[in-house]
Amino acid sequence: MSKTSLIALVTAGLVGGAAAHDNNIEVLARTCNGCHGVGGVSAGPSMPSIGGLPRDYLARIMKQWKYDERVGVTMNRIVKGFSDDELDALAGYFSRQPWVPAPQRAPADVMQKGRSAVSESCEDCHGISGNDPDVDAPRINGQWSRYMELELEKFRSADFKMPHRKMRRAANEMKPADVSAAARYFGAQSR
Amino acid sequence: MNPYVDRRTFLKAVTAAAGTAVLTIPQARAVAVKARVVVVGGGYGGASAARYLRLLDPGIEVTLIERGTRYTSCPLSNEVLSGSRDISTLQTGYGGLAQRGVKVVHDEVVGIDPVKKAVTTGTGGTFGYDALVVAPGVELDFGAVQGLNADLAESRIPHAWKAGPQTLLLKKQIEAMPDGGRMVIAVPPAPFRCPPGPYERAAQVAMYCQSHGKKKVKILLLDANDSFSKRPLFEQAWKALYGYGSDGMIEWIGGAAGGKVERVDAEAMTCHTAFDDIQCDVINVIPPHRAGRIAVDAGLANFKGAWCAVKPENMESTAQKDIFVIGDACVGGELSTGNGFPKSAHMANSQAKVVAASLAARFNGLPAPKPLYTNTCYSVVAHDWGFSVVHLFRVENNQWVYVKDGSGISPVTFGTKEKPIPVPRLYRRMEAEYADGWLRNLMTDAFS
Repeated sequence: MSKTSLIALVTAGLVGGAAAHDNNIEVLARTCNGCHGVGGVSAGPSMPSIGGLPRDYLARIMKQWKYDERVGVTMNRIVKGFSDDELDALAGYFSRQPWVPAPQRAPADVMQKGRSAVSESCEDCHGISGNDPDVDAPRINGQWSRYMELELEKFRSADFKMPHRKMRRAANEMKPADVSAAARYFGAQSR
Repeated sequence: MNPYVDRRTFLKAVTAAAGTAVLTIPQARAVAVKARVVVVGGGYGGASAARYLRLLDPGIEVTLIERGTRYTSCPLSNEVLSGSRDISTLQTGYGGLAQRGVKVVHDEVVGIDPVKKAVTTGTGGTFGYDALVVAPGVELDFGAVQGLNADLAESRIPHAWKAGPQTLLLKKQIEAMPDGGRMVIAVPPAPFRCPPGPYERAAQVAMYCQSHGKKKVKILLLDANDSFSKRPLFEQAWKALYGYGSDGMIEWIGGAAGGKVERVDAEAMTCHTAFDDIQCDVINVIPPHRAGRIAVDAGLANFKGAWCAVKPENMESTAQKDIFVIGDACVGGELSTGNGFPKSAHMANSQAKVVAASLAARFNGLPAPKPLYTNTCYSVVAHDWGFSVVHLFRVENNQWVYVKDGSGISPVTFGTKEKPIPVPRLYRRMEAEYADGWLRNLMTDAFS
């Protein structure tokens, strides 16, 4: 076997020693593809892309779901079947994938309104284009805007347990009419 | 208008990401063929298997044999009945797989020779294989219901259990149904494809009737079984949205109460159970299922003569070496506790990944990775009301183990058992929204 093809097989999760045989991260990650896409690049507007997000962010969110500290709807059930070590491994795996924005075009008036809302409520932590986040925040440039709208609704709802105080406060201070515009503004960013 | 103007660019990026994420083998024409895999059937299971085999090792020659040139997704096809989804959003071709180097052959497999390791097709083609993936879906047994036959299913009594023209035929009949009319949905004995499907269908039809001035329509679920998938969630939603029970728009009659439809009369438009003769405007009989005919003919249906038993570690048939059966035709899971594999698209997609990983390892002389089987399945009962079930199976000591902690349906209530509080509507709405994202990703993960 040539060196290149061996490297390829390692990447494909086919080679990796005894440990990998028992708990192969590629096999584990592949179970996420059905809803989040290969490499965590989602093709469905209500489902987030997760490839290229920070490891600590991904690990923290999944564990908060697992221990019911945060409402993730479907995800609260799914992650309970995995050990903390597996969730850490998944977070590490997806954090190593490239972030692939899915730029969704929005009309100029929406972009203008969105930018002003973003500079008021979101820029501090995510950056004006969503590509320059704080250490504990996800990048959201070219994230699916429908997903972000729904996520903002969760943060704005008193019925949903959402633990991030700063994000909750920022989301709740937004004017209702600005929520969608901000989400669409970030969704339109290509880089 | 498509709001995702940059979709083409994005899909290119997705494809590029898929390459880097999974594999760095260049797609060189010079890659030597390590093995030949033939895949029979281009539904979710077969398409996913072909796709992942190529993703994992382009040295594997993959031939997909499928009759149709267009595929219509069954998941979310009930939304077409209510008019809330256009059927084109469920349709795809096989060009994406062809671009991955899958040899797509549109033909019908008529024979499998496990000794010579070859399949033959209706037009006389022969395809040798090192491994064969059989994913034929289900065959509907029209003869199990008196008075029903395949021709009637194409005209007066559609099943709409294989999405496409059948879905549109049933939709037309629903649209023609008068206010005060009655529709029967006859549910076959389990196991059947898409366990929550008939009950989601009742809700989608009710939603259509409610918003089209047909508030006095009756939708009667005549069920051969005594209970059903996601039952507390469906009953809660039916009651809240459409009225449920003898006075409601939706009524369910279980097997013990005589729900099984024994006979239909297409001329008189009547359904007959052991206890009752029911006059109908629309009769939607979902006939009992068994594994697709090619699997039965090949001697693979060794479980109750109807389904194909497979090995937990890699989905290989227990009847024939080097043949792998995936999708609705197979039987698996923790059967002893009633937690079998649900017959769903997502489950088929997951099984396909297990087969692909196992074969890719084998053709490279490596041990197969330990498999995981997962399922996520959404049901949409109104534009803003959905729910889901998830399943996780691991394999321990060559047996499937149903992982209860990673499985289960959406919550029926919040709060405590003693003090339940209603689940917020936003929660239900989110799962209705997630259903669409799930569908698009699942289609992409199988056909792109």
